[in-house]
Order: sequence, then structure tokens, then C-alpha cells
Amino acid sequence: MVTTPFVAVLRKDLLLEVRGGQSTVALGALSLLVLVVLVFAFNPGGGEQGAEAAAGALWVALVFSGMLGATRAISAENENGCIRALLMSPLDRAALYAAKLAAAFIFMAVAEAASIILMVLFFNLEFDARVMRLVPAVLLGALGFAALATLLAGISSRLRGGDLILPLLAVPMFVPALIAGVKASASALGGAPMGEFALWLKVLIAFDVMFVAAGYLLFEYVAGEE
Amino acid sequence: MNGRAVRLGLGLITLALMLAALYMVFVYVPTEADQGIVQRIFYFHVPCAWVAFASFALVAIAGIFYLWLGQQVWDDLGYAAAETGMVFCTLVLVTGSIWAKPIWGAWWTWDSRLTTTLILWLLYGGYLMLRAMAGDSEQGARFGAVVGIVAAIDVPIVIVSVRLWRTIHPAVLVTRQGGHGLEDPRMVATLLVSLAAFTALFIWILCLRFVTLRMHTRLGALARSLALAEAAAQD
Amino acid sequence: MTAALIEARALGKSFGPTPVLRDVNLSVEAGRGAAVIGANGAGKSTLIRLLAGLSAPSLGGALLFGEPARSLRPALRRRIGLLSHQSFVYPNLTARENLEFYATLYGVADARAQAAEWLERVALGAVADARVRAYSRGMEQRLAIARAMLARPDVLMLDEPFAALDADGAALAAALVREAMSQGCAVLASAHSAGALEELGFAALTLSRGRLVHAEPSATRQSVARAPLARQVS
Repeated sequence: MVTTPFVAVLRKDLLLEVRGGQSTVALGALSLLVLVVLVFAFNPGGGEQGAEAAAGALWVALVFSGMLGATRAISAENENGCIRALLMSPLDRAALYAAKLAAAFIFMAVAEAASIILMVLFFNLEFDARVMRLVPAVLLGALGFAALATLLAGISSRLRGGDLILPLLAVPMFVPALIAGVKASASALGGAPMGEFALWLKVLIAFDVMFVAAGYLLFEYVAGEE
Repeated sequence: MNGRAVRLGLGLITLALMLAALYMVFVYVPTEADQGIVQRIFYFHVPCAWVAFASFALVAIAGIFYLWLGQQVWDDLGYAAAETGMVFCTLVLVTGSIWAKPIWGAWWTWDSRLTTTLILWLLYGGYLMLRAMAGDSEQGARFGAVVGIVAAIDVPIVIVSVRLWRTIHPAVLVTRQGGHGLEDPRMVATLLVSLAAFTALFIWILCLRFVTLRMHTRLGALARSLALAEAAAQD
Repeated sequence: MTAALIEARALGKSFGPTPVLRDVNLSVEAGRGAAVIGANGAGKSTLIRLLAGLSAPSLGGALLFGEPARSLRPALRRRIGLLSHQSFVYPNLTARENLEFYATLYGVADARAQAAEWLERVALGAVADARVRAYSRGMEQRLAIARAMLARPDVLMLDEPFAALDADGAALAAALVREAMSQGCAVLASAHSAGALEELGFAALTLSRGRLVHAEPSATRQSVARAPLARQVS
């Protein structure tokens, strides 16, 4: 069976995840906790205010779990120095980035699926078409965050005390997607007309395109040693 | 060209422009009808914002050259621009806050420009923390360049998304409308002079900082050569 | 005379102001072996990292196949094998999965069969499907050796290859290295003492205070010195 290096790395990451089994569970658990905390924090009512609170909570959970996921994905390579072996191999740096990005995205997507379900439960919403409209926004947001965090985690994993740097850099950079995602989700849940929702989706798409491209081009500069 | 003479010259130009700007802001320009005397802060606030954003672009451009050419001088320039820009970015937020309080009764408004500047400030801060953490190393320079470039790519999207955020759902407090709304030509002139003064100030401080970093780099190289010579002497 | 596959030209590395390597010159041709001998902290691992292209030199050049090691084309990276202090294997995967993964990465034809073959060669066939996390250090080292060699590289760099190996393991490793050299592989290895490597016909170079010097000739080394298998380029 012929597999490209990209597929090989991705399969390896997914296999490690299934074996270790910690990351997606941890991400799901973190999302759950974040949502619980936010319910206590905001004590949301129903209607539009409830929809906005729910959308906000969902995206806070996405950001927190995303940071954890990215850190985990990279630190798996630091055990036994495997990242060096990957860099020494004929593996294209961009392909390595793409594989790491894909793995982080898949983990986040699974955690987000759980988050959406929990959100509906906690914020007293219904499982209807409005929730379905959330899905593209959340997937786009997860992709954007994965692209950003994979690149930045490459940096933070190399520095002592680097786990502080990742959120410090990732959160401000993610703001446009966060705004767009929360607004899109709130308008979807509130049953607002499609126009506004589509506009915010376009912002998310632009964000994703820019950051996947940036990560693809810049990852090789992050990967080398001194 | 004598570096010292250049820096002195820049300093004098800055001084002259600053004095002119101060005169114009406090004496020459008429008081604005709606907001009163406080509005004069505008002539400091806007140039600082222009400088902060321009400096950020400079960090990114220096980063691109550093990654492409691998010469330390580009990193020194980028780092100097980040430090200097950070100062002016902080000034934007502080002057914005001072301006907001008497006008809108709150220390902070989430209007689109201030919000964008806040994000910029956080990005600058992240860059500087990263450099501090990475220390004096080639790796630190490389990481800084990458972060500077990515952050600069981010800024336009931040501007767009924050503006959309504010127009679709207007802020609780009434925001400043679109342009600067300067009717009086004296106001325009004052703004332009102030802009020039702050740009000169920025360039001057940037040069001073850049030269200091270059000296630091050269000292490092000398220390390395010295250590090599000492080791060779003991062979 | 064949061209050198591994080459250091006036190679220097300083961390901050502190020099770790100074004016290191060496060259290893196909089928030859060079042993870098030194105490802990002498800079052996740094030298290998520089030659592997993982780290950038402060001065001079590290070359593989005549090109700078730091910016090697993928086609050339395929022909390099590195054994480091770190084992480069994923603890949560089995030995077989690790080797199959790396074989795929290196474009080895029929990865599955090759992985199986190498597992046998390093005497891990019986435990091939156990997770590496459960391995002893010696087993992990043997797996790491298999990982470095399974793509049949033309350049091998081994950082303390016999560490953590018992007598059997060491003999196995030595046999594999000998076989690789006979197939034209250029080998650079580091160690605390020269013994085992010299028996393989390596030329011993001592790393002391950052400089590389030829080891002093002794009775067993005379025959090597007469017909040097690797030269120190001055």
C-alpha cells in the first residue's frame, strides 16, 4: 500500500491518539468544565440573550480546548526527540505542518461536537436546524485555531516556560475569528436571517485561508534548531 | 556619514517639530465646539496610533528580511521597532482613555479603533515576552520574525472584523463617527504637523534603540572571538 | 580517491561566548569509519548535531555529500541515518509500527517486509508487537539502531552506539555497522573510548578542549595508522 508521507504522519498521530486516548477525552472534559463555569458565571435566560450567551460559551470552550490540543500534539513529538527524526527525514516541512494541522483539527472537531451537545443541554436550547447551522462556523473556527496554534506550538514547545507564550500569542491573534465565530453562532442560534450569518462565515474563511497559508510557509522556520 | 551626527541631527529635527506641534496644539488651533479643550488630545492620540501601526509593519518587514537573508542586522531592526512601537501603542491606549472619560464618562470604550489598538498592544506584548523568554539567541530572532510576520498578517483581519462587530451591533456608548470630521483648516494643519513631529520622534528613538542593539550584537561577536583566542592561546 | 561524504571544514560552534568546538576538520569517505572519542561534555554530540544539519555552525562548514548539512535536499536526507542519545521512537507505538512508519517516511520499498526483517536483525522479532514503552534501555537502543539503518543510508552518524547495550547487543550493532561499511556507507561514530570502534577499523580522533586531534598511535593502532581509513584534513 502506497501512502504519502503526509498520510503516514497523520495516521501515526491518530494511531497514537487512539492508543493514548488522552487528548480527545481531555479536550472534551475541559470543554465540559468551561461550559459549566460559564453557566454559573452568566446565569443565562432564554431567548436572544440566551442564544448569545450560549454562542459565547461555546467559543470560549473552543479556544481553551484548542490550546490544550495544540500543545499536546506537539509535545507528543518531543518525547524521545522524534521531532528531530522527522526533520532529518526526507519529509517536506510543509507536509509535516499539514499533518500536524490535520491532527489538531480532527481532535478539536471531535471535542467541539461534544461541546455543541453540552451547550444545547446546558443552555436549554433545542436540537434543531439552528444548531445545525452552527456546524460550519465551528468547523471553520477550529481549522483556523488549529492552523494558528500548530505554528505557535512549534515555537512554545521549544522554550522553557513556553506554555505561557502559546495563549499569550494565540488569543489576540485569534480575535477576528473569535468575533466572527461568536457572531455567526449567535445569529444562527437566534434564528436571524442568513445575510449576517453568511457575512461572518466569509470572515472566518478569510481568516482560515490566511493562517493556513502563513503556517504552511513559515513552519520550516519554526522547526529548526539553533 | 557619521552616525553620531545623524542621530544628533534627527534629535534636533524632532525637537523643532515637537516644539512647533506643541505650539500649534495648545495655542494655534481653535477649541473644538462639541468636546472642548479635551479634544486637543486628538492631536497626540492619532499620530501615536499611526506610528504604532507603522512600526508593526516595520517589525514584519524586518522579520521577512531576516528569514530570507539571515543577517542579524534585520533582527536588530525588528526588535528595536517592536520596543519603540510598543511605547507608542501604550500611549494610544492611555490618551484614548484620558479622552474617553470626560467625553463619554467611561475610562474605556469598545469602539472599533481603540479595540483594534488593544489587540495590537497584546500582539506587541506577546512578541516582547517571546523575545525575553527566548533570550539572546538565533532561535529567538527566528521565532520573533515568524511571530512578527503572522501578527502583521492578522492585523488587517482584526481591523475588518472589529469594524463589522461595531457597526452591526453598535456599542452601548456612542462611538466616534467615521473620519476625523475636521472642518477648520487650522485643525488639519495642526494634525499634519503633529503627525510629522511624532514620526520624527519615532524615527529618532528607533535609531537610538537600533544602534544600541547593534552594539550589543557586535559585543557578542567580539566576546566570541575573544573566547576563541583565549582558548587558542592555551593550546 | 572518492569524495568525502561527511566533511567538517574549520568547523566551530560557540554557545554565547563559550566555544565548544574550534577549527574541527575531518572527512569520511564511502566505506570508511571515523570515531570521535571524548569525555562527557567534550562536544561529541554537538559535532554530530552540526554534521547532521540539526544545528547551525558558528564558523566554518559541515557538509554531507559535499553540500551544507543544514539545508540538505530531501533526496539527500533520504540517504542519511542518525542515531542519537534520544531514541527517536514513539513510546506508545509498537516496535513494528515505529519501523513501518519510518520506512514509509523514507520511501523504502515494501516497508512492512523491511521493517520485519530489521526487527529480526536486531533480535527484537519476538517483542515486535509490544509497545516501546515497555522496552528496556538496551532493547530501545537496538530499535533505534534499526530505525537509523533501515533505509540503508549512505551516511551513518552514531552518537555513542554501544551505550546501554550488553555484550550480545554490542556484537549485533558492530556486525551491522561492519556490513553497512562494506556496502559503501560512510560512518561517523562517537564514544568514550576507542576500543570497540577501532576493532571495526575506525580511525580514532580525540576531541579535547574543542579541537580534534589524531589519537596517539599504540600497538593495535599502528596498523590502522599505516593505512588510514579516515583522514584528518589539516
